[in-house]
Amino acid sequence: MAMLPEFILLSLAFVILLGDLFLPKTTMRQWGALLALLGLVGALGSLLLLPQDATLLGGRFVMDQITWWFKLVFLVAGLLVVGFSADLLSGRIQDQKMVLDSAAEFLAVILFTLSGMLYLVSSRDMVTLYVSLELATIPLFVLTAWSKRDELSEEAGMKYLISGALASCFMIYGLSLIYGVTGVMELTQLDAEYATHPLVWVGLAMVTAGVGFKVTLVPFHMWAADVYQGAPTLVTAFLSVASKTAGVGVLFHLYIRVFIELIPDWSPVLAIAAFVTMTLGNLVAIVQENVKRFMAFSSISQAGYILMGFLGPTQEGVVAILFYLLVYAVSNLTVFGVIILYSSSTRRENISEYRGLSRTHPGLALIMMLGLFSLAGIPPLSGFTGKFFLFSAAAKAGYYWLVVAAAVNSTVSLYYYLRIVRQMYIEAPDGSEVRVQMSWMPRMALGLALIGTILLGVVPVF
Amino acid sequence: MGILSVLVFLPLLTAFIVVLVPEQKWQRIRWICLASTALHLLLTALMTWRFWAAAGQNVTVDRKSLLTEVYLTEKFTWFERFGVDYYLGVDGMSVAMMILTSIIIFTGVLASWEVENRTKEFFALLFVLVTGVFGVFVSFDLFLFFVFYEVAVLPMYLLIGVWGTGPKEYSAMKLTLMLMVGSALILAGILAVYHYAGITTFDLIQLSQVQYPVDMQTWVFPLFFFGFGVLGALFPFHTWSPDGHASAPTAVSMLHAGVLMKLGGYGILRVGVYLLPEGAIQWALGLMVLTTINIIYGAFGAIRQKDLKYFTAYSSVSHCGFVLFGICTLNLMGMKGAVLQMFSHGIMTGLFFALIGMVYGRTHTRMIPEMGGLAKVMPWLAVCFYIGGLASLGLPGLSGFVAESHVFLGGFFGNQWFDAGVTRALTVIATMSVVVTAVYVLRGLAQAFQGPIVDHEFEHLTDAKWFEKFSTGTLIVALFVVGLVPWFLTDMIETSVYPILNRILQAGTLVGSN
Repeated sequence: MAMLPEFILLSLAFVILLGDLFLPKTTMRQWGALLALLGLVGALGSLLLLPQDATLLGGRFVMDQITWWFKLVFLVAGLLVVGFSADLLSGRIQDQKMVLDSAAEFLAVILFTLSGMLYLVSSRDMVTLYVSLELATIPLFVLTAWSKRDELSEEAGMKYLISGALASCFMIYGLSLIYGVTGVMELTQLDAEYATHPLVWVGLAMVTAGVGFKVTLVPFHMWAADVYQGAPTLVTAFLSVASKTAGVGVLFHLYIRVFIELIPDWSPVLAIAAFVTMTLGNLVAIVQENVKRFMAFSSISQAGYILMGFLGPTQEGVVAILFYLLVYAVSNLTVFGVIILYSSSTRRENISEYRGLSRTHPGLALIMMLGLFSLAGIPPLSGFTGKFFLFSAAAKAGYYWLVVAAAVNSTVSLYYYLRIVRQMYIEAPDGSEVRVQMSWMPRMALGLALIGTILLGVVPVF
Repeated sequence: MGILSVLVFLPLLTAFIVVLVPEQKWQRIRWICLASTALHLLLTALMTWRFWAAAGQNVTVDRKSLLTEVYLTEKFTWFERFGVDYYLGVDGMSVAMMILTSIIIFTGVLASWEVENRTKEFFALLFVLVTGVFGVFVSFDLFLFFVFYEVAVLPMYLLIGVWGTGPKEYSAMKLTLMLMVGSALILAGILAVYHYAGITTFDLIQLSQVQYPVDMQTWVFPLFFFGFGVLGALFPFHTWSPDGHASAPTAVSMLHAGVLMKLGGYGILRVGVYLLPEGAIQWALGLMVLTTINIIYGAFGAIRQKDLKYFTAYSSVSHCGFVLFGICTLNLMGMKGAVLQMFSHGIMTGLFFALIGMVYGRTHTRMIPEMGGLAKVMPWLAVCFYIGGLASLGLPGLSGFVAESHVFLGGFFGNQWFDAGVTRALTVIATMSVVVTAVYVLRGLAQAFQGPIVDHEFEHLTDAKWFEKFSTGTLIVALFVVGLVPWFLTDMIETSVYPILNRILQAGTLVGSN
């Protein structure tokens, strides 16, 4: 029973594929998104109703509160992205060139990668961990290269495939080293006595590097900008949230669940990685012109903040990381929702093309501004509350220099988020008469993301 | 829901109502806003009365043992795991600041009666900002305090960027970023206090009962002082203030110079000095030098200005220096003077910016040399300008005198930790600024308002309209009330300064025994 959400997603993916085989193409275009949405709601419902502690397959598949929270983040991200996708799949948008190819396969592949992520956070065994990570990753390569006629998209897919494969190599090599020393596959059985073995250190470093690609930690972030820019915007949105959360899930397995004794030793390294990641992401974001590339660097810097929660194995840190993952998901998808809807009607992707949005589309501009402010950590939006507790965790571990650096970094990030706000609110519109149209599904998804962005900041959920 | 929550969220509610008004009926918006601020003024009066009814007897009891009493409290658990509460309350200092804010926003709405460009967004943002300001003054939970603090700072970006004049985008960005770096320091300071206390609460009163290690106080106090100091226009972090105030629209300048800059001084007293008295003792003498520079630099800066707004902004830097100077004296007289100066300068500078807005609306220039003889065509505005100017140079009978004399006396008394010669020398230097103030105020005003009319186009200008008279008149009445019967305020402020002083004295004995 504990695997019900995964079963729902997988079976839904097959239903959609089969439906595509037997039903007319237009049917799946019209109804596919709705079907996937219903399935995701079902998975979310089953997640909410199922007990939060279960162990299956001899301890290889475990459901606990932390796992539950990760799954919630994945499903929320999936729900929102599928919601945004409805018009792009059905073709009810102005610019027919933006319509995505093969609607049914697109949805099925998203569902596959989602189920991989759900398995990933539940697995407590190196083999299932690795296999589910691949199940989550390989569909993402396909999704990145989805726009076949777009050279940038193809290039992005190829880049992502190569760097992703390299990351997998690091990962599996690290895992094999750890296995070689300890001789056990189950993460739960790894003993602390091995923790000081030098090869375990090397293994852990390699796995961290491999995961670093997913989480876009500097210096493993190189792929992100090109891939984020080239991929279809929907996929970028999904990548920036779900894929990053999956990476954090693996880090969580390793550092919090297994090698928690090592954290005091690793903390200085993690602190420096956090600092470099957020600073580089922020500084490079300042000069970006393309909004997707811009969001890539913004999300790199966000990874730096998340890493702060790992310093010092505290309960506060764990709670702060989990909470921030959800906050980041809704805030980032609020911003991406607007980017997707705006670019799918106008094909505009440059920051300067957002000029005067507050006059032409006051609602969208307001939503975008709130999402950006939440990412910048402005109260009372959720991004502030999330960051505050992350910073608090780092302060508790004694890293006050990092707290100051991170807080100053938030100011830097505010500078470039305000660049967009300035285009939307201060500059006058350029006079072109474009209307963003959307049906109820993207509308609802955007509304949900916005509500999450605001309410998570003021309603205590933990 | 207590009266404080109503006071804090009434502006936010107003902002929502304003957003719902259709665009073409923008005239209605200002009436809604005026009604809301008038109601707010009444409620503040009611709140003051209730506070005084509860706190009045404390004035007569033995003040030396007075601890912080928080009145009209509202406390709910918010984020339980982290010890965050929704904790509102007032003491004398916050009541004084609430009264100031209510007056400024009421007159600010009147002064921006004729904003026609995107009126709806303007007032909505303005009222969001006001919510933040009120929230800061009544928060006794550091988390909540910080939330409101940021809410009070950020809307400024759009208010200046959209409705400002001159290099508005540059000024808006500079202001926002400098203040945000300040709040980054404050955030680190808050987290340091929270973790060193080790009692999982952000409750200011509970945190104040903890004895913090001296070396921790030594490095955390400057975080608070400089963090809040940025907003309090502390030299050399004041550079956002002239640019920001010069570019901002009238009501925003009024609110920002009149109230928001006071959040800096308020935060230093309420959080910095109160929680970390030993850190304050160690740093205050050095900071006193810095604030003396503040006072003198601001005054000399004002002499050179030709633009009325820059003129007032530099004068504000000088006057806000008095607030910080008063705090650094670490004695009753000085700190009381600092709070009084916050109030007095708030009213005064609010009046100045309101008047500048009104004059600019007529002459379309803010350059003093281009004016001249304006008193002939707009006597009301000229007289108001003079009264404000006299208050700012510290004429007895007006509020500036009361506040500045407190600060100077405080500086002259000094305290047992600092060398009396140094504090007295600094006080003498700071007092000199009053002379400089007299020079620039009298010279500037004479140039703008006296003599023959320079530009013939100005001959047909009209004097203040009813709402302008109402707005400036209210502020002038406030200036006189504080100047002639200051006891009402000083008694109230004393009740809240004593607890801070007692904590400093207590810490001082510990420092001495080391």
